[in-house]
Amino acid sequence: MKELALLLNEMQREGVIQDYALFGATAQMRYTEPVATLDADVLVAVASADRLDVLGGIYEFCAAKGYRPEGEAILVGAWPTQFIPAFSPLTQEAMEQAETADFDGVAFRVVRADHLAVIALSVGRAKDMTRVLGLLESGAVSRDAIMSLAARHGLADAWHRFEERFLDD
Amino acid sequence: MTDLEQMLKRQAEWQRTRQSLTWPEKIRLAERVRESVGQLRVEPRPTVPGPPKR
Repeated sequence: MKELALLLNEMQREGVIQDYALFGATAQMRYTEPVATLDADVLVAVASADRLDVLGGIYEFCAAKGYRPEGEAILVGAWPTQFIPAFSPLTQEAMEQAETADFDGVAFRVVRADHLAVIALSVGRAKDMTRVLGLLESGAVSRDAIMSLAARHGLADAWHRFEERFLDD
Repeated sequence: MTDLEQMLKRQAEWQRTRQSLTWPEKIRLAERVRESVGQLRVEPRPTVPGPPKR
C-alpha cells in the first residue's frame, strides 16, 4: 500500500493526475476493524479529462514504471488498483475534502469517513450497507453527519430507507 | 453470565483490539487475508472419489 501512496504522489507531482484520494474498503480500514478486500480503489481527477480514454495517461505512466494491468486494475505492489475518475459532485467533493493520512511515513490522501459512508449509501450493494454500519459502529461518523451529507447530495431518501431497515428498532 | 455471553464478550473485545490497530497494520492484515484467498483459488480442489462402480 505504501508503494501505491508513493506512486500516486509521484503521478500528482508529474501532472498525470491533478488530485486523488483512496476510497472503498482500504480507506474504510482507517476507521474500522480490518475487512477482507481484493483491491484498492482510488478516485482521480485527471489532467487531460478531454481525452477519449480518460485514464490513458495513468495507464501509460504506470506501464513506463513497470506496473502491469490486471483486468480492470493495475497491479501496484500487492494491490490490484482501480482508478476511478471522480464522476459526480459527491465523489468530487469527497476527493477535494480528503484527509492526508500518514502511511508508514508517506503522505496518503484518503476519503473522510462521512464521504465514505455516503458514497457507499449511493452505491447500495449489500457490502456497501455493511460499510455504512461499520463506520457508524466505529464512531467515525454520526447518523446526523451522514443525514446532512446525504441530503446535500440528493440521497435523503436512500438514507431514510437505510435507517428504517438497519437502525430503527 | 452464560458461556455464550462470555464468548460473545471476548469476541467483541478481540474485535475492538483489531480496530485499535494502526491503519498500516490493518492494511497488512488485509494483505495477508488476500494472500490466503489467492492461495485457495490457485490450489487444486481435492477430488472426492465417487461410489465404487459395479
